[in-house]
Parts: sequence; C-alpha cells; structure tokens
Amino acid sequence: MRKLNLKGLTKRYGALAVVDHIDLSLHEGEFVSLLGPSGCGKTTTLRMIAGFIDPSEGTIEMNDHLMSSPAASVPPERRNMAMIFQSYAIWPNMTVFENVAFGLRARRLPNQEVHRRTTEMLSIVKLDQLSARYPNELSGGQQQRVALARAIVIKPEVLLLDEPLSNLDANLREEMRGEIRRLHDEFNMTTVYVTHDQSEAMAISDRIAVMNQGRIDQLDAPVDIYRKPKTRFVAGFIGRTNFIEGRLNGDVVNFSGFNIARSNLGTTSIPDGVSTFSVRPQSMEVLANRPTEANQLDIPGKITTRTFLGETWDYTFDSGSGLCLRVVSSPAITLEMNQPVWLRIDPAQIVRVEDSPAAA
Amino acid sequence: MDSTVAIPSSSATGSRDLRPKRSFDSMVILWIMLALLLMFLVINPLCRLIIDSFRQVGGTDFTLANYVAAFSRARHIQAVINTLWMASFASLIAVAMAVPLAWAVSRTDMPGRDWAHASVIAAFIIPTFLGAIGWMLLAGPNAGWLNRIFVAVFGTATGPLNIFSFSGLCFVIGIYAFPLIYVFTRSALDLISTEMEEAAAVHGAGTLRTMLKVTLPLALPAILGGFILVFLEATALYGTPALIAIPARFNVATTQLATFFEHPLRVEVAAAFSMPMIGVTILLLWVQRLMLSNRSYVSVSGKGGDRRLVRLGPWKWLLAAYALLISLVTVLLPLLVLLHCAFAKAWGQGASISNLTLENFHHIFFEQLTVRQSMWNTFSYAAVTATACCTLGFGIAYIVQRRLLPLTPVLSFLTLSPVIIPGIVLAICFYSAYAGAPFYLYGSSAIIMVAFVTRFLPIAFVTVGSGIRSINPELEEAVRILGGNRLMVLRRVVAPLLKKTILGAWILTFVLATRELSTAVFLSGPETRVISVLTLDLSEQGRYEILAAMGVVLLVVTTVVVLAGMRVLGRDFMLRQP
Amino acid sequence: MRISRRSFVATGLAAAALVPRRAFAQMSDNEKALYEAAKREGELTWYSSHYTSETSERIGRAFTAKYSGVKVNVVRTTAQVAFQRLSQDIQSGVANCDILGTTDIAHCVSLKQRGLLLSYEPKDAEFIAPVFRNVDKDGQFHTTSSTFVSLLYNTAKVKPGDAPKSWKALLDPKWSNQISVGHPGFSGFVGNWVVQMKKLYGWSYFETLAKLNPQIGRSIIDTVTTLSSGERLVAAGPGALAYLQAARGNPVGVIVPEEGAVLMTSPSAIMKNSRRPNASKLFIEFLYGKEAAEIAKEEFGSPMRMDVEPRPGVLRLTDMKLIQPSVDEIIKGIPEVTEQWRDTFGI
Repeated sequence: MRKLNLKGLTKRYGALAVVDHIDLSLHEGEFVSLLGPSGCGKTTTLRMIAGFIDPSEGTIEMNDHLMSSPAASVPPERRNMAMIFQSYAIWPNMTVFENVAFGLRARRLPNQEVHRRTTEMLSIVKLDQLSARYPNELSGGQQQRVALARAIVIKPEVLLLDEPLSNLDANLREEMRGEIRRLHDEFNMTTVYVTHDQSEAMAISDRIAVMNQGRIDQLDAPVDIYRKPKTRFVAGFIGRTNFIEGRLNGDVVNFSGFNIARSNLGTTSIPDGVSTFSVRPQSMEVLANRPTEANQLDIPGKITTRTFLGETWDYTFDSGSGLCLRVVSSPAITLEMNQPVWLRIDPAQIVRVEDSPAAA
Repeated sequence: MDSTVAIPSSSATGSRDLRPKRSFDSMVILWIMLALLLMFLVINPLCRLIIDSFRQVGGTDFTLANYVAAFSRARHIQAVINTLWMASFASLIAVAMAVPLAWAVSRTDMPGRDWAHASVIAAFIIPTFLGAIGWMLLAGPNAGWLNRIFVAVFGTATGPLNIFSFSGLCFVIGIYAFPLIYVFTRSALDLISTEMEEAAAVHGAGTLRTMLKVTLPLALPAILGGFILVFLEATALYGTPALIAIPARFNVATTQLATFFEHPLRVEVAAAFSMPMIGVTILLLWVQRLMLSNRSYVSVSGKGGDRRLVRLGPWKWLLAAYALLISLVTVLLPLLVLLHCAFAKAWGQGASISNLTLENFHHIFFEQLTVRQSMWNTFSYAAVTATACCTLGFGIAYIVQRRLLPLTPVLSFLTLSPVIIPGIVLAICFYSAYAGAPFYLYGSSAIIMVAFVTRFLPIAFVTVGSGIRSINPELEEAVRILGGNRLMVLRRVVAPLLKKTILGAWILTFVLATRELSTAVFLSGPETRVISVLTLDLSEQGRYEILAAMGVVLLVVTTVVVLAGMRVLGRDFMLRQP
Repeated sequence: MRISRRSFVATGLAAAALVPRRAFAQMSDNEKALYEAAKREGELTWYSSHYTSETSERIGRAFTAKYSGVKVNVVRTTAQVAFQRLSQDIQSGVANCDILGTTDIAHCVSLKQRGLLLSYEPKDAEFIAPVFRNVDKDGQFHTTSSTFVSLLYNTAKVKPGDAPKSWKALLDPKWSNQISVGHPGFSGFVGNWVVQMKKLYGWSYFETLAKLNPQIGRSIIDTVTTLSSGERLVAAGPGALAYLQAARGNPVGVIVPEEGAVLMTSPSAIMKNSRRPNASKLFIEFLYGKEAAEIAKEEFGSPMRMDVEPRPGVLRLTDMKLIQPSVDEIIKGIPEVTEQWRDTFGI
C-alpha cells in the first residue's frame, strides 16, 4: 500500500498553474523533501496534502483513501496528519504541556493516556523541565522542539514540515536538522519536508523532489540528484556546476577542445545532435605540471581568476579555445594568475542534462 | 512506549469520517443568513429613505414635491450653508488644538506629557452635549461664570464671551472633536523615525522649521483624514446645535431636519433633505480614503525606528501652558461648573456653602421617575448594543479576514456602509423602514437598539478585524491539522488571543452608545428615552441643576468603565487608531 | 440627605397603603367603579405639556397615592413636541398615549375632528369656575389648567419702577439684549401669546422685537430660569411659575401688563384608542378634584375650583385683567405665526 500518493496534482490561480501535474508516491516511513526556489509551488503542494487548499485537478490519496480532489476533500482536522509551520505556530495562550497535549485531547483520549504520552514525548525532545512554561519564555530552538513534540505525539499518518529551520541561526539549524531526522528514524514516520536550502534537503532526506515552476524536475536520492542531475535546473540549483555543449558523432561526443567516448560518460543515453552537459567544479583537477601519462582529458590552458575561500581555492580555467570552467581545488594547491596549467576531468562525472519538462 | 508505530491505532482513525466533504454546503447557509441580516440593518433602511424621499406626503404616489419643499425655501438652503461653515470652522479649531498637542506629546520633551494625554482621554469621555451645557453655564453672555469673573475683575459692563453665537457653537463642537484628530496625528507622528528630523538638523534647520517642513508634512495625510472625519461628525450633530444654535437664532441642517418631524409630520421631506448630507459624506469619505491609502508618505520611514525627543529648551514651558489651557477648556472648567451646578440649589446664585445640596441627585434617583427610567434605558441599551456589535463584528470580521465565504469584499462593504449615513439620518431611515407597517417597532426599545447596532457595527468590525489580522493564520491551521474543527479554533485559540481586543471594542462601543443622541432622538418613545434625549428635553425648562446631576451620573459611570478598561487593557486601548 | 431606596419605597408603600383605605370609604360609587376598573389596567401614560415636569410628576404621584395600584407615566415635553410624538404614535397605529394635556387648543380640535377622542364628563365639573367650563360642547376635551403669561423681570437687577408696564413697553430699546422669550414652534403658551400680540399690534411687534435680539429658548419655562440666573432681565413668561420661583428665593417678579395678561387655558383629552380608558377617566376626574387644585395652589397657581383659595398674595385669575385669542384664532393663527416667526427670527 502506498502511504501517500499524489496523482496529476494541479493548482491554478487564474490562468497561472502554481502546481502543475505533480506525480509523487511515498511509501511508509519515507522522508521526502520538496526542494526548490521560492514560487516553485512546494508550499502549495504541502498545503494541499494537509488539506488547507483544494486541488484544481488531480487527486491525493493516503492509504488508498481519497483525501483531496477538485470536487470534494477531507478537511484537515480529519486527516490525522501533523504539520510543523515555519513560524512554529505554538499557541501563546497555552503552556508547553497544553500545546503538546492538544492533539491528543482533540482525539478525546482518556486523561491518563494524554498525560502519559505527553510527558514521554516531552522527555524525548528534552523539554520536560519546561512543561509549565509559556511560549514567550522559550528560545527559538525550544519552540521548535515543542512544535515537533506536538506533531509527533499524535502518531500522525504523515508528518509535514514547512521550512521549519529557516528562522534559526546556522549552528542551531544543524542541531535541529539532526533532531528531526533522529525522531523520524525513531518513529518511522512518513515525512514530507519543504525547503529551499539544498544542503539541508540532501542531509536529511531519503529522496528529494526538485521542483521548478510547479513541476517536479527530478525525484531521486540525494546522491543521485547531485551526481546525476537530469535537467539544467537541477544541476544548477543543487551545488554549483559548469555547463558545456557536446555533439554526438557516432560513438564519440565532441566537446570544445576534447572528445570523449560515449560509453565513458556519466550518462549513457545521448541523442543525436547537440546536448548540454554538466561538469561539477569538484569533479576536475588542476595540475601545475604537465601530466606525464598521456590522457586525452588533460587539457592545457591557464588560470584566469582565482579566489581563496579558506576551505577551497576557486579557479577559473580557460583553455583558450572556448572552454571556460570553474574548478574547485584543495587549499594546498596554490596557482598564480595566468599560470599555464592542465585540467583533468573525470569523464564519468560528466552528465547530460535536459531542459525542464514543458508545461503539461 | 511504541518505538516503531507506523500504522495509527484504530482508535485514532477508525472513528474518523474520512469521506471527502463538499466545502460550500454549510457555508452557503451562513452566507445567506449574514446577507439577510445586513440587508435588514443597512440596505433596507437606506432604500426606504430614498424611496420615501420620492413619495408623496401621506400618500403613495411618486413625486418630486419633497425635494421642492426641502430646498425651495431660502431658510432651508441657508441651514445647509450654515452647517458647512460651522463644520469647517469647528474642524479647524479641532486641528489647531490637536496638532501642536500631538506633536508635543509624541516628539518633544514637554513636561507633563502624561497629563496632557490623560486630558485627551477625559475630553473624549465627555459627550459633546454635556460639554455644551457646561459652556453655556460658563459663557452665557450675562450670567456665565467667566463673564461674571471678567466683569468683577475688569469692571466692564458685560463680559467678552457669548456662547450663544456662531463662534460659540463652532468652539464647543471643535473642542470636543479634537481628540479624534489628536489620535490620527499622534499615530502618524509616532511612526516617523527621528532620523528624518536629525537629517534636517544636520542641514541647518531649527526646531520650528523642522517641525513645519519635515515632521508635519509627513503626518499631513493623517491630519487631513482626521479633519474630514471631524467635519462629517460636526455636520451630523444634533444635540449641541439644538442647545446653542436655537438661542443663537442660527439654523443648521440637523435642526432643520428636526422641524420636518414636527407637526405636521413630513418624513418624506426630511428624507429628501437628507440626501445631500449623504452625498457629501460619501464624497468626503472617498477623498479621505484616497489620502490615507497613499501610505508611501509614512511607510518610507518604516516601522518607527529610533525615536529621540526634540529638546525644546525654554519653549517647552510655553507648550506645557498650551496643553494646560487645552485641558482647562475641554475638561476642567466645564467639569467644575457642572459639578457645582449638580450640587447647587440655584446655579445662578454662585458658589457658596448655602447653595450646596444633594437635592438634585435625590430628585433624579427617587422623585423624577422618568430620569431613573432613562438611566436604566441608557446603560442597558448600550450594553446590549455593545454585546451585539462585538459578537456580530467578530463573526463578520473573522469570515472576512479568513475569507471563509465568497465575495467577502461585499460583506465588508455592507458592514462598513452605515458610516456614510449621519446619525440623525440613520434614525430617519430606521423610522421610515421599521416604525410603521409592517414591523410597528415605533417607540420600542428594539428599534433604538437595532439602530444603535447598525451605527456602531463598523467600529466593532474594524477594531476586531485588526485584532484578527494580527493573529498568524498558522496558529489556527495548527489547530486544524491536529484534529480541531473550526469551532475549536475559535474557542481554544482565536477567542483567547482576542480577549483584550474584543473587550476594548466592547468598552468603546458601550461608551459611544451611552451618549448617542442624534440617532436616538426620533426613535425614542415615551418609555424608551435615553439620558441624552432626556437631557435635551429637560433643557427646555432650563433646570440646569437636574441636567448637571444627570450629566455627572453619566460621566461617573463612563469613567468607571473606561478606567476598568484601561486597567485591563493598557492606557491607550481607546485611542489606538484601528 | 441619604434615603436608602428600600426605606423610601417602604415609606411610600406605607403611605399609599394608608390613604386609600380611608379615602376608599369616602369615594362615590362612580369613583369606586372607575377605580376598580383602573386597578386592573394598572397604569396610564400622560403626555403633559402644561405643567413643568416637576409638577407633572407631583400630580402623578398624588394620583397614585390616592388610587394605589394605578401608576402614572409622565411624559413631559413642550406642546408641539408632545403633539408630534402623538402624531407619530397615530401614524404607526400605536396607542402609547392615554391622556393628552396640551397648551395648544388646536391640537384637541384637530383630534376631535378626526374622531380620535373619547367623550367624558367629569363629575366635579360643577365645582369649576364657569368661565373655564364647556370649552368643548361634546365633552371631548376639558380645560384642566389655566394660567397666565405676563411680564416678568429680574428683581435683583431691575427696580420695579424701571420694569416695563405694558406689552408695548417691552419694546423699549433699553431692553436690547435683555429680553427672554420662548418659541412658538415648540411651546403652545408662546404660540398663544404670539397670536395675541399679533392681534393687538400686528406682526410689526415682532419685527421690532427681533431687532432687540431676545434670547429665544424652546419652552416658556426657560424664561423664568433665564431671569433667575440673571442671564436676561425681562421676559414674557408664565406668572404662576414666577411666583413659585420667587417664593424659593429667586429674583423674579411679575407685572400684569396694562393691556392685560394673556390667559392660557390648557385642555386635556382622553384618546379614543386608549388601552386604559378607565384609568384615564379617573385621572380626568382627579384633575378636577380637590387634590389637584391643592397642588395648583401650592405651586402659586390660581386653582380653577371655586372652593379652593389661592395663596395669599396670588391673584385669582378671574380677578385679573385678561386677554385671550379665540379658539378659531388659535387654530388658524399658531401655524401661521410659527412660519412668520421663523422667517423673522431666522430660527
């Protein structure tokens, strides 16, 4: 049984399709992120899953029950899901305990059970000392924990998170990210996580759905998203990359200044004609000395810009014959401006990318 | 503790109804109910007024004769002209008082700022007609206290002040209208960051120049907006002109309207005569909206920013004296003379121990039963009105803010539209629509309360609406996703968070309703008179001692309620601009 | 003087309880029958404009003291306002008013013409001075109070010798800015007075008066308080009220003008659609009775009953030089002069 299934999910405002025919399936206990820039439709999708917005087309099913459709929808209070909001939405007129116990009370569970489960959850998120406090007495991180506890204690079918870490500072962000993943693992909750921060998505998710202008460009595990981006957008959005053009000629792809056998490239299916390829700055090496072994992928050129960033050297390599690439190097390798160098590329990390899917 | 619970226990979902629901079913009924209610309150009376203006007096034919009767006499047109002049001058007086005071309190180091602010609140609490009576006692040309003191000190034949004159009328209206402009101006000034003024100083401008060229222009739209509201309020006043203008032999639109209600009763002509007032109100409100919606003026400086006080040096004493003068004129002097009068046997005899008595209070509580009845009426109608306004206002505001129904702008417009109808015209509307067939509500307390609710609903709606706006909708969504329905949202989250806002709106509506005169004056039957109407009736007989006693009771109750409100809600709950 | 509400009510009840038992025994059969029926009705509403509210309430209380169980709701306004409210009642088909007491006889005439009044002859009419009787031959309205309007002056600031002696003398320029009058559009008394002055001197009387800038109140009662406070020095006002205020220590004096004081006879009528006809009839009887006459006497009025003497120093009306416009002159005149007044005085 698929836990959560979005089929052709679409939301239109006027003529604009904010969410455009999304297909997405989650199985039990999976952690999927919806990743994309603002305006890509990820939050709207999340709110449709929650039931706050009705779809214009398409359906949402949970456990094979119909939840949302354009004609009728199950209201949010009946879906047995839980949501962490960007503002945490902790009710200021209730104590921490009352906040966390709210969902259990709404389900009319007996008092004793409510008390037991709430206290347990508070100690899991390490807030048991603060259960009688009011939200305005808590720090940002503590409020987040309250939101988490409140959501998890009801054992929701699906846990939804809407950019929960964006209001925290960097250190806290990492810590809470770990907390969220830990709690997910402990309770094996099916989770949909919305964020615009790609490193966050990669660190925390089982799969990532990269969204662009209402459509999912790619749905894959983080490693595959990074190493084998399917579209220009995904390649550019996740990490940095260089785009180069290559033409397929029989079994060889001709690039500007070098050729690679088709079978050596990262992507196997390559159509005829010109395609765009993505080469990550980390997948290349810059050598100061002429390489001794003959390797057709050692390309001569020179350094035209360089920036020292502490953890890396950022160089721009110019072959002089139309190939200009950004390369990231270890801080130990210091090269000078206009120094003649050789660039070594790993062909297996060159990946073909397409344009994003057109509007359906 | 379950560590790997993936499938929720049946108790959580088994009893849940997972059938998808159509979203509009129950909402449609709610929409229809609200629409009907607003039609009853707003549209029907207004339509009846317009229809009646074209209806033959005492008959049913269509005719333009009412408009002819209303506007063909020079006296009637003069009344309209007088009204426009009076409202203009009164508003100018209000601006002249409010703006310097607002600037002084908001941005300078004038001593006694708290006192000045408190006196604005006190001036707000005093109803205009009561202040008018106070000033009649102070500035009656021959017997007024101030004149008598002047004569005694300077030995002239008569004193310089005559309250029974055009300027007297403008003065009284202006001094009790100034709190409104003060609020508007102060809100705007509070938002201006000091950096604006410091920039002016760096470029060589002195304090006065900075105030005139930088600070005030930024607040100008708000001041003009307040001016327009005060202007409209002044045109709609009935009580004060009845008290002062008639002895001053000076007719204004509202007193002229009242003559159409004399015998023989000509509601239709009154309706025709009201049309220009509505027209002017709509026009000016539209202009005001235009001015205030251009927020780029003030928003440039953002959310206030750092504010340091302007140091005035020795000038601050002058400004403090000005503030003291304002509180003397609006609050202290009238209050003093009213208190004296309430405890006097004969106010004209002056202040002496032999002239003191509790007789007046005894009279109004135990002897003249109409007074006691009117006091009960006043406070009970006001309480019911406030409760109804807050409930209805909350319901509609919530629906509008959260867009629960389609066409919420229409709902919002309907709820706010009574604002365009001056109080006395609203009374005529309600009279036309509900006094006779088929409702026969004439003389009942119901018709007064319904008219009051219509009049004050916009205030409650706007006040509660801004409170709802300040609640993050995610707080409500969190309730729903965790299993609470809309009712639980309101009960557990929205209502508790809005407690203070709603209480503030209740108190404000209550205070305004206790002293409402122009709406009540045509709708009051013998048993449903309220204090304001009774004051006007009794003032005919010149028994100022009784009036003053009634006024004191009204002020005491109002002050107690307001102080209680300030205790619970903070100092400024009534003066915050919604 | 602190009277707790409870003790006051208790005293009142006790007082009320005492009287009827004695008085009941003295009531005539007719009275008893009316009283029994009135008790069942429980109350009546009286639109009163020919007494001050104080006096009206006093009469109401005296009525309830004599006939316990029947409350009087006093609605005191000036005559035109009372009639306006009554007209609104009639137009809406609501029977609020049981008894109309007005200072403008035209009101009663109009109501009678429209068949809206109830005929009733009070039994005590025989005790009333003949000059006040039979104002309506069908008994649909009766003169229940009469008083006079004359010249009043402030005794503290004006020497008796300097005060005006006649209506004409009121127009002396020395009284510029010192005169107080009411408004015929509100007050029936003033309406009567204006009609009478116009009859004597034509409308030019008022054109001259306008130039002297009088203070115009709504009610004629206002003139007495204006004089008392010293705001104005002379007035055309109600004599009886002036006597009353003078007795209380206020500086008001009365001068009967050479042309004569203007007699005001104010009628009362029972509304045909009254919900409390028996209580109303009883009330009309009361107004002709001794208790009401005693109240009139105490208030320095001239009682209409021949067997009650006015206070010492107060002239009986029948002994004064009086002038009065005819009923027809009043009916036609008051609306006319009201319009003329508005044009002349601007208000």
